[in-house]
Formats: sequence, structure tokens, C-alpha cells
Amino acid sequence: MSSTEVPFKISVSDDQLDLLRKKLDLVTFPDELENAGWRYGAPLSDIKRLVARWKDGYEWRAEEAKLNEELPQFTRDIEVKGHGTLNIHYVHKKSEVENAIPLLFVHGWPGSFIEVRKILPLLVQASPNGKFPSFHVVAFSLPGYGFSEAPRKPGFAIEQHAEVGHKLMLALGYNEYVTQGGDWGSAITRKIALKYGGKYSKAWHTNMASGVRPTFTSHPISYLQYLVRPFTAEDKAGYERTMWFQQEGRGYFMEQSTQPQTLGYSLADSPVGLLAWIYEKLVNWTDGYPWTDDEVLTWISIYQFSRAGPAANTRIYFEYMHSKDAAPGALAAGMPTIPMGVSRFPKELAVLPKSWMSHTYNNIVFVGEHASGGHFAAHEKPELLVGDLRKMFGKKGPVYGVVTGKTGYVRSKRGAERAKL
Amino acid sequence: MSSSEQSFKISIPDSALESLQKKLALATFPDELELDSDEERRKYGAPLAHVQRLVERWKTRTPDIANGSGMATDKEGFDWRRAEAKLNEDLSPMFTRDIEVEGFGTLNLHYVHRKSVKEVDGKGRKPVPLLFVHGWPGSVIEVRKILPLLTNPENEDDLPFHVVAPSLPGFGFSEAPKKKGFNLTQYAEIFNKLMLALGYNEYVTQGGDWGFYITRRMAQLYGHTHIKAWHTNYPGPGALEPTFTTQPLHYLQHLFTPYTATEKAALERSKWFSTQGMGYNIEQSTQPQTLGYSLADSPVGLLAWIYEKLVNWTDGYKWDDDEVLEWMSIYWLSRAGPAASLRIYYEVTQANQRQIPAREKPTIPMGWSRFPQELRSFPRTWTENVGNLVFDSEHPSGGHFAAHEEPEKLVGDLRRMFEKHW
Repeated sequence: MSSTEVPFKISVSDDQLDLLRKKLDLVTFPDELENAGWRYGAPLSDIKRLVARWKDGYEWRAEEAKLNEELPQFTRDIEVKGHGTLNIHYVHKKSEVENAIPLLFVHGWPGSFIEVRKILPLLVQASPNGKFPSFHVVAFSLPGYGFSEAPRKPGFAIEQHAEVGHKLMLALGYNEYVTQGGDWGSAITRKIALKYGGKYSKAWHTNMASGVRPTFTSHPISYLQYLVRPFTAEDKAGYERTMWFQQEGRGYFMEQSTQPQTLGYSLADSPVGLLAWIYEKLVNWTDGYPWTDDEVLTWISIYQFSRAGPAANTRIYFEYMHSKDAAPGALAAGMPTIPMGVSRFPKELAVLPKSWMSHTYNNIVFVGEHASGGHFAAHEKPELLVGDLRKMFGKKGPVYGVVTGKTGYVRSKRGAERAKL
Repeated sequence: MSSSEQSFKISIPDSALESLQKKLALATFPDELELDSDEERRKYGAPLAHVQRLVERWKTRTPDIANGSGMATDKEGFDWRRAEAKLNEDLSPMFTRDIEVEGFGTLNLHYVHRKSVKEVDGKGRKPVPLLFVHGWPGSVIEVRKILPLLTNPENEDDLPFHVVAPSLPGFGFSEAPKKKGFNLTQYAEIFNKLMLALGYNEYVTQGGDWGFYITRRMAQLYGHTHIKAWHTNYPGPGALEPTFTTQPLHYLQHLFTPYTATEKAALERSKWFSTQGMGYNIEQSTQPQTLGYSLADSPVGLLAWIYEKLVNWTDGYKWDDDEVLEWMSIYWLSRAGPAASLRIYYEVTQANQRQIPAREKPTIPMGWSRFPQELRSFPRTWTENVGNLVFDSEHPSGGHFAAHEEPEKLVGDLRRMFEKHW
């Protein structure tokens, strides 16, 4: 453990691989109803196929090597008020463009640092003719996820996660930075914007900003518009998606936010249980994304082999729901003021009318709308997401130059002068 | 239509017990936060030390089959064969029979059927046929303690019963439905057919948890014709707060009747359940198959999933470790496997059968025993909307598994209820 940076390579022990193999050899499958399809949960034939591949054919060592090659990783200790020191795992890659914009990427559940994999090369890429900005990228594993240590005490909620992300950026020498986040990353980067915005965090972007329904007392004009204005086809589709999630998709949330330890025994003891628990989301939450079996297994393996074990990651739900942030009206009560960008994808889990975002989000300067894509935007639509970030932060964008002296472009004479201002 | 009865004894194959032991040998536990008390730990779920202790107890040496008896002697740890033998004795006689359910073909149903020891009691009354319906995560084990009290009362003037206690389809040793859509109507149908097949054209019911929902449906469908009265310890899910528009007189009464201390405590408990205790319910109602992979593959996962309820849902009941493991084993070793038992949540939710309007409530006499740690429990004025409430009682202790926690109290109530309403 060190407060200075230590290079890190994923190296799962042989013992862990051996234990996984032994458990897979003893796997017991449930029955399934005739013609169940996806209605009752992840289908048996999918899970059987994935388990068969996991036992025979899937090569973790090869995937591990690829991850280590593509993602330069490190660990360092970060102190969190009231929680002592946590050893945090992160990806950090600098662009060859010296004045690239420092960007903190924050993942969620059931994601991980792996979600930065596809956007990383695009973000750090130097544009040949100064066509788009470049970024220095930092992507940490949330405490309890991937190879970050898990919190030991109760109460590690959104504020604490925000503290980790912020302190990490400072430790890396990025006094000013921007953020991108989805899922828990959205809540965490919103908190960063709220607590550290202005001085440190200069702008934030999320692919999950749903807003809340207006009521007559909360937002009278919006409410009246809502009553009389006809919904567009996109609105209707978004509404159906939102209703689906509310009615069929929140079981995991309810269990994880009330009895995460109970669930944790299953996830820790049964690789197939863990696989099904997560795989169901990988399919239900994406927009027809053509997962390969190995892709799924790598994603699951990061949970299976995580430093804290497969149970710790669920606690963020409990801590959040038992914190002030989950109280009714909390979102509207404290809104960040720094510029914000949103990318909207049709298969996100809550897709509400665009205008409703302003009820809980402030200063929206950029909205990117897309015809396809779901919850895991960085993984499903890396070009679209990065395209939005380039537009938002680029020369013609609304927050060009928001980070002092780091426009994301190779510095020209004019740029050098602007930086002095 | 149902074909003839086969006598049944639980007899789990050695291979199932061996496979369980192999999995337990590889048991892998999660971490746990640093917390100061079990009360604090329980807020997050089943505490690690307890689950580990139970898993250790569950691990045993392989059964001694060399001597041919199948019984092991001098064993450390939980002894399934001994528990199995005791269950076979305590729940005897047990049977299975095929029963046809419309649209679902034939299902093989497992049940306890014990007749009253006496043909008439001291007052010349004939035994009352009683159908006992369990729920989740219960099983026929829940009839164990009340069975002798009902069928063989010490006092010869106590009303005796014939008792029928089936395993719900997909639970215990009953076959599971293979098709989608097996909801309350089907559970009601199969159990009514069972009673008729056993020669009970008229009978009464007792149910908690899913047993409440099922017997309420039965009361709707077969009330008066076959079912004469019904008793429940869990009417909460059906309770409806009276409103002025729907029930003006009831509403006014409700307005002017202050809640008793018991009712206030019950509302608090219900609030706890609906905000902190419904996670399993929502998952089982929406994605039971997904959860099913964990429960089918990991005895540790299944143990924790159920053990948490055995503690949280009871009133300080002093569970013996072997008692817990026995209860657990019925799920782990069940005929259809533990995933099948979850589907009732999905089917009933999808069929929108959880709530029924007050005007559709059954009209046969209804009895209610209130236990203070029941999960959802509401004021009397609300509960009168569940059925034709003719009998209710309150007890100072007891929780969700009333028949297991407070067998004498429950049986006492059943006698008082059915003496008058049968």
C-alpha cells in the first residue's frame, strides 16, 4: 500500500482459477418453464452455453494479458474522511497532446474499469489537423469493484465515492478536470460537480440524466405542458422503456439496497449465479448489443476475481438508499452549477422527455441525441459517446477551454495567449 | 380427475447428499463490513458468522451406507438421514397422487393426510377436515407441530380435525408446473380437487404467506359449495384502508376509532417490511429465473437467502441450527429444485391477483389470528375488507411462521373459530 503510485498488472492467482474450475465442474442448473424466453430472467440455454464456454474454451490468461496491454493501470492509497485509507486501482493514460483535457471516467454497476477500454484510444487520440480535442484519461475502479479495496465501514455513499475520484485527480496533478459518468458514475460525477465544481471540476458529462416528472407544485409550467403537449414517438418509446424498467427491472435494486449481504453469499459462492445476475443486465440494458460469449465472460470475470470479492460491489446501493441523497427532493434541492453535457440513448433505463432534465439538472450546455444505444454507452457506442465529448469540449463547442490551459489541442500561438487569460 | 394415491416417504438419494457435500467443501464466503453488533449486521442481511457456522454444521461425513441401514451413527454435524426419518415419522402418513389441472396437464402432488384419532369427540362432534396451505420459504414442515394437536387433542372435548397439508406445486416433494401462467386459480383448483379426491366434499382452510392468497382464492371459487370457513394468520396483503368514497360508514368508523397500541406497532412493522424487507419479493416477482441460478447452484446462497427470513420474520424464535438446516434441506433437496418455488411470485404478480377489490372478497366466515411480528399487519377496520371477519384474536408473541412458532395458540384459535363456523 502506498500513497505514491504503484504500477499494476492484473494477475489473478492460479488458486482462484482453480477454485472457479472446481465450482464450474460441480455446477447445478435450475429447471425452466417451457417457452420462457427472457420473461422470467436470463434463459437457461444462454447460461448453459456460457458456462460450457467458461469451463472449456475461454482463456482468462489471454484476456488478462490483453487488458494489461491496453490499459495502463496503477494503484495508490487515497484517504477518505471517516473511512481511513483505501487502495484504489485505476487506469491512467495520457494523450501525446500535452494540453489534453484531463478527464475522469466513472463507471457503475454491473460495470467496471473495463468500460473505458473502447473509448480510451479515441479519447487520447491526437487529431491530425486539430479537428477534435484530446483527453488525458483517468478511470478508477470504484471501491469494492475491480481491483480497488472495498470500504470497511458503513456509510460509504456517493459523497465518499466523489471524494475518491476528486482526490485521485489531484494526486495525479490534475487540479482542474472534467468528468464523464453513467450509472453510479452519473450520481458520483454529479456529486463531484456539486462539491468540487467551479474550482476543480470544470464541466461534467453523463449518459444517464433522466430528470423527474413535473408535478403542479414542483414545476407548474412543465406540468401544464406535460398535460397538453402531445408526446413524440421518441417520448412514447422512452416512456415504455422507463415503465418496463420500473415494473420488471428493479428487483436487483431492491435487494441490493436492502439486503446486500444476503445476496452476497450467492454471488460469492456461485460463479453461475454471479454470471446470471449480471448477464441478465448486459442483455436487458443494452440495445441489441451483439455480446460475444468471451466478452461476457471477461466482464463477469472482473467481478469473480475482484479484489474484494463479488459481494462488496452491491453495498453502494444500500449506502445510497440510506443516505440523505436518496431522500425525496434531494436531487432538486442541490443542483450543480458548472456546465453539463448529456448524451441520450434510446435504451437507457429511464428515458423521459428532454425538457424534464432541467428539473434536476442545471446549466445543460450540450445534448447529444442518438437513435441507438443503451445503458452501457461507452461500451456499446464508443464513437458516438466520444463524438459527443469532442463536440462538447471542442473548438466550436460550448465549453471549449473550460480547463485552464488545456484546450485539448496542440497549442498554437493564439492558444498560448488564451491560456494566459 | 385424479388417479389413486401412492404412499410416500421422503428418501433422498445418496448422490444428492454427496453432491451437496462436494459443494459445501468449496464454500466461498463474501466479506462483511466492520460492524459492532448482530443488529447492525442484520441491517445489511444475514450476518457472516451465523451463515458460516450453519455451513460448517451442514458439512458432515458421507452417510454410512456400508452397513446397509443408510443411517449414520455418531455423526458430528447435521444428520440429514436422521432428520429425514423423523420427518417421515412426524408427518406421517404422506402420499402422492396425480391431479389434473386445466391447461397444465397432470401434476403429481405430495401431501400429508392424517385423520383424527377419534371419530367423534367427547361432545359427539365429528372431526373437521382442514386443509393447511404453506407459503414461501415454508413447506409442509410447518404443519409438523400442529398436526398432533389437531388430530389427537389431549382433552377429549377439544374439537378434532382431519388434516391435509400439501406441498405447493414446485415446492417440497410436489411436481412443478412446466408451463407459464400457473397462478392462484391453479393452486386453488389443485387443492380443491385434492380435498374432493380424499372424500372431503366440505372442509375448512388455514393459510399464511402464500397460503393466505391461495385460500382466499379458494374461498372465492369454492366458498359455500365446498369451503365452509377459512382462517388465516396473514390477511395483511389483502387489507384495505377504508376511504370515504368506497366505504363511507366504514370510513367514519375508522376515523373515530383510534388505533390501539398493537395496531400502531403493527403499522411500524409493516413499514419496515415494505421499505427494507421486499427486495426478495420484487426480484422473485420479476426475474425469478435469474435468481434461480444462484439458489440452484449454491447451498450457501440458498441458506443465506432463506435463513435471513427465518430470523427477520419470527419473533425472537430460538432456531436450533439443525432446525434451520432441516428447513433449508427441504428446499435444497426438493423435487423440482429451489428455483421452481420462486415462480409463484412472478405468476401471481403478472396475473394481477395480489390485490382484490373489497367487493370481491369471499363471503364465507373468516378467522384471523394476529401475531405481533407478522410482516404486514393492519388495523382491524382495514382487515375487515379482506373477508367476512367473524373471529379474530391477538397474541403477545409470534411472527410470520405462526404454526411453527406458536402451535398451541394457533390451534386454540382454530378450535374457537371452527367450533362455531363449520
